[in-house]
Amino acid sequence: MAEDKKPPLLSVQNLIIEFATENGVVRATDNISFDIFANETVGIVGESGCGKTVTGLSILGLIPSPPGRIVGGSITFMGRELVGLPEEEMRKIRGCHISMIFQEPMTALNPVFSIGNQMTDVLIRHHGLTRRQARDSAIEMLAKVGIPAPAKRIDEYPHQLSGGMRQRVMIAMALSCDPKLLIADEPTTALDVTTQAQVLEQISKLQAEFHMAVVLITHDLGVVAETCRRAIVMYCGRIVENASIEHLFASPRHPYAKGLLDSIPQIRSQRLEELPIIPGRVPDLLQLPPGCRFADRCPRADGLCSEQIPKLAPSGTHADRVACHHPYPAVQAGSAS
Amino acid sequence: MNTVAITTVRRESLWSKAFYKFSRDRTGMISLVFVLFYMLIAFGVTLGWLATDWSDVQGGKWEGMSTTYWFGTNMIGQDIFSRAIYSTKTAFEVGLVVALIATAVGAVIGAISGFFSGTWIDEVLLWLMGVLDSIPFYLFVAAIVFAMQESPYAMHVAMISTFWTGSSRLVRGEVIKLRGLEYVEAAHAIGVSELGIIFRHILPNTTHILLVQATITFVAAIKSEVILSFLGLGVKDGMSWGLMIAESSQEVMAGFFNNFLAASVLMFGLVMAFNMFSDALQDALDPRKVS
Amino acid sequence: MEILQYSIRKLFSGIPLILGVTLISFVLMVYFGPDKTYELLGKNPTPEEIAEVRSQLGYDQPFVVRYVDYLRELATLDFGNSDSTGERVDALLARTIPVSLALTAPGFVLGNALGILLALFAAYYRSTWVDKTIMASAVIGMSISFLIVIIAFQIIFASSYGLGWFPVRGWSIGSIGDYFSYVAVPTMATVFVALGYNTRFYRSVLVEEMTRDHVRTAKAFGVPPSKLFYKNILKNSLIPIITRIVFSIPLVIISGSLLIESYFGIPGVGKITYDAIISGDQPVLKAVVGLTAILFVLAQLLTDIMYRAVDPRITLK
Repeated sequence: MAEDKKPPLLSVQNLIIEFATENGVVRATDNISFDIFANETVGIVGESGCGKTVTGLSILGLIPSPPGRIVGGSITFMGRELVGLPEEEMRKIRGCHISMIFQEPMTALNPVFSIGNQMTDVLIRHHGLTRRQARDSAIEMLAKVGIPAPAKRIDEYPHQLSGGMRQRVMIAMALSCDPKLLIADEPTTALDVTTQAQVLEQISKLQAEFHMAVVLITHDLGVVAETCRRAIVMYCGRIVENASIEHLFASPRHPYAKGLLDSIPQIRSQRLEELPIIPGRVPDLLQLPPGCRFADRCPRADGLCSEQIPKLAPSGTHADRVACHHPYPAVQAGSAS
Repeated sequence: MNTVAITTVRRESLWSKAFYKFSRDRTGMISLVFVLFYMLIAFGVTLGWLATDWSDVQGGKWEGMSTTYWFGTNMIGQDIFSRAIYSTKTAFEVGLVVALIATAVGAVIGAISGFFSGTWIDEVLLWLMGVLDSIPFYLFVAAIVFAMQESPYAMHVAMISTFWTGSSRLVRGEVIKLRGLEYVEAAHAIGVSELGIIFRHILPNTTHILLVQATITFVAAIKSEVILSFLGLGVKDGMSWGLMIAESSQEVMAGFFNNFLAASVLMFGLVMAFNMFSDALQDALDPRKVS
Repeated sequence: MEILQYSIRKLFSGIPLILGVTLISFVLMVYFGPDKTYELLGKNPTPEEIAEVRSQLGYDQPFVVRYVDYLRELATLDFGNSDSTGERVDALLARTIPVSLALTAPGFVLGNALGILLALFAAYYRSTWVDKTIMASAVIGMSISFLIVIIAFQIIFASSYGLGWFPVRGWSIGSIGDYFSYVAVPTMATVFVALGYNTRFYRSVLVEEMTRDHVRTAKAFGVPPSKLFYKNILKNSLIPIITRIVFSIPLVIISGSLLIESYFGIPGVGKITYDAIISGDQPVLKAVVGLTAILFVLAQLLTDIMYRAVDPRITLK
């Protein structure tokens, strides 16, 4: 609670990003707003195509343009506006104050340069180290992310490492300049389950050690539950719910968030007849309904929902927010389950 | 049955989307109009409506441009305009014959090669493609021209025998990709014969690549024809831009450029239009193309 | 050591290609090729004279013997004497190959270097007017026949109707200045023609590399675009670039110079090949075809070794 009074590390306000496609202009994010505070881990959850990756890329100014374009809104980082910031200024932030790691560690690293070469490049550029210093520092970072024999591994090429190792290298590279914010876009999706857990643990551990905020973009609510304090649920380019993990998992207020939670396979005391699914399908981004985008699939929708877009409004007494005309009632934390 | 439905749906949407995309491509449409215009000329010549007097000696030596002889006359008094127009037909004939046959041969061999990749059949076919690509082109043409005893189609045969390897390699790659797809495996599972799979299920899914490849081969054939005819290895009876340029190479030294310019400009127009048409087609049809 | 072993193995694996190329060319050029018996005989030859000439030319031998003979000639690089001039073929090649290399090298190097440079520009300014202008010019360049370019450039730069800066044709090199003046027009023509194709090819390679994930990673770590191009993207694109450059060498030496040498009357391999085609000079043709095949095998070896140097994922196996 006290945290909320401090200025946020990153503040996204009414961000609108559009992509020109062959069939028309698609709004990848539509008026999204959220804050990230120092030292916290926030999950951005949603199905593929809901705009979560685009949101992550936009923070670093990496929206491929054309076809993408930030049409409106602002992104402020440590009080500085990032939208419209000149490229040179933006480059000083990338990999230094804000780092990003990607889903596919196989292709995200350059196959024809050694990992040492790729890592030292970042350090030399941002911290002005000599090649020698940068190399020592890189070896140290590799050790920190749990790579055995880092002094030897540093001269290897990405294809010589396993998927989990490559993702650790990405993390080491991302943290080498001591960023304030780490954006992790599906960092564990391409890994197998046991490696996934290790990498997540590593991120959590380093988050505390480096005092940085982490934005974890994922479609996996399980990952969010394990690592995040707060989660932002996105649907069709809009934020539908932004709540603390306890509240979200105990009593989701938005029907979509509830649907997502209900559809997670879990070990239940009683075997269900069938796994609950959300009926219907995600609407075409080119032909969005005028009202709530979830209205067609929502059990609680009425006439108002299909006419008027619900605003993301405070829900209850805490910092949680929900965008729904008829949210499920809030249950006070502690009283639920 | 299911597999058939899936392939048809995919194909139709590809073609209708491509058609829509192409129709909105302004340069593509303009180039298509130019290509069609040239084609019309070629048809007119073939049907005997245009340029029938291309070989008649009518005027004096090297007459300038006039209303009778739009581009003047050549060294022996033939109408350059008629000859250039007539050559359009030759270019189209060579281009079409070579492009269609070479692409078809390449498609079939490439499909077989790709389908049997990893076996000796593929090895042999790849070896053959490598061999044909390694023989110096002009030598190969000259050898075929001689071996076919100066047949007017020797040049066509020579070009087809070397140009098919391009389409073949493309189709081979595509087939290796398609072979792993589920509908092909499904066809296998329900007992469709291997030939049936290649020709009914795989080849139809490479037609968009083949169409683009055919346009590229068309251009290559026209350009080769001109050089071969110039070198005396190509068109023997009839007229072609290459022969006109060969004729003109003595004329230009005497300061008479009409013959050279007429052939060059007409040829440039056709090749340019076709190149742009081919590009637009590729933009519309080839999902792999990054622009 | 590893490289040496690999090279030897690779050269052996090139034998099927050499056999294929020589066999097909042999069948076409020699077996179905021109019969030179009567050209070498006087009027009203006696059957004995005919038989003697035929045996001299090897026509009386069975096909297999003649083909194996050809392979032996290729292995020993001894192709006998030219039919038309009587000069030894190896001497003829030793005289003409340097001329062709001197003639084609500047155009080849410039055509590729400028092509890569323009492609880098176009890719760097992708989708802007710079890119569009370069690519439109490339299509125009691609649409003009080599033949037309040669003749037009000769008129413009060498003839009395144009600027008249360079010799119209020929090749008599006494000094470095002579060399530049004789090589200028052919070089300009080759560069002009190659540039369109090269720029387009290299740009598409670069653009494809630009869309890779690791480029996005590099951007996310603040790599400036200029460095991104000359370090990351260029090195990653080197494999297709090397392939194109190295594999065009064998054809540039023979086919590429054939038109230009016969048009400008330059005594290189292309010219003697053209003359041999016209006169049916089989020893020369056999030598040219065989050497081209060998060049292709060497090109394959060279690309493999270069790939290894460029891409750590490739091993010489």
